[in-house]
Amino acid sequence: MVMPAAASDRSEDHVPAQPAGTSAVHTLPTIELVHPMPGFPGHRRFVLVRLDEDGLLYAFTSADDPDLRFLVVPPLAFFPDYAPEIDDETMQLLGVDDPERVLILLVVTAGESATDATANLMAPVLVDQVNRRAVQAVLTGSGLPVRASLTS
Amino acid sequence: MIGDDVVVTVLEVRGDVIRLGIRAPRSIQVHREEVYRELQAANQEAASPSEDAVRNLAQLLRPPSGGQ
Repeated sequence: MVMPAAASDRSEDHVPAQPAGTSAVHTLPTIELVHPMPGFPGHRRFVLVRLDEDGLLYAFTSADDPDLRFLVVPPLAFFPDYAPEIDDETMQLLGVDDPERVLILLVVTAGESATDATANLMAPVLVDQVNRRAVQAVLTGSGLPVRASLTS
Repeated sequence: MIGDDVVVTVLEVRGDVIRLGIRAPRSIQVHREEVYRELQAANQEAASPSEDAVRNLAQLLRPPSGGQ
């Protein structure tokens, strides 16, 4: 489920220093958003940095602006029943025909205290683990919440 | 039509409700404005949390048995 931390051939892919206690990986493959995330036009290149040892929390960090990052989580540990339907257009957009290749990540809003953290189930970030194209899908009409409590 | 390749179709009119269909090339994303705005706001709120917030969350997510 985890993106392989293979060495990239692009020298500019360096990731900023991570907070103490996290395993810093200095070179990560660049993920290219086929459409920018809503609210962040112009940010298309990201890297995925693991923030904990258990693989529950990752930073989706802009490769061009190290100050911009999103916390993301794989849904399984938090929302075991979460199985978004990925439509054909989104699959074509990613250039994928095998859904198994697609890594699903949920964008987390940290909130005032950790227990206030929410995850966006309506707009998961989908990453093709082979060609590293990604998109924040918008599951309009799914009825899924934009802010679902992460910890309750 | 809007431009050369965006097609707007009225799918259904029922009372006060009109359903529209919009067909556009894949390079153009079509969203309902209120949905898109909500996502913009949610992403902006989520972006670049403080180190403290990240640390607290990582702490909270650590399984009770697996911590050091």
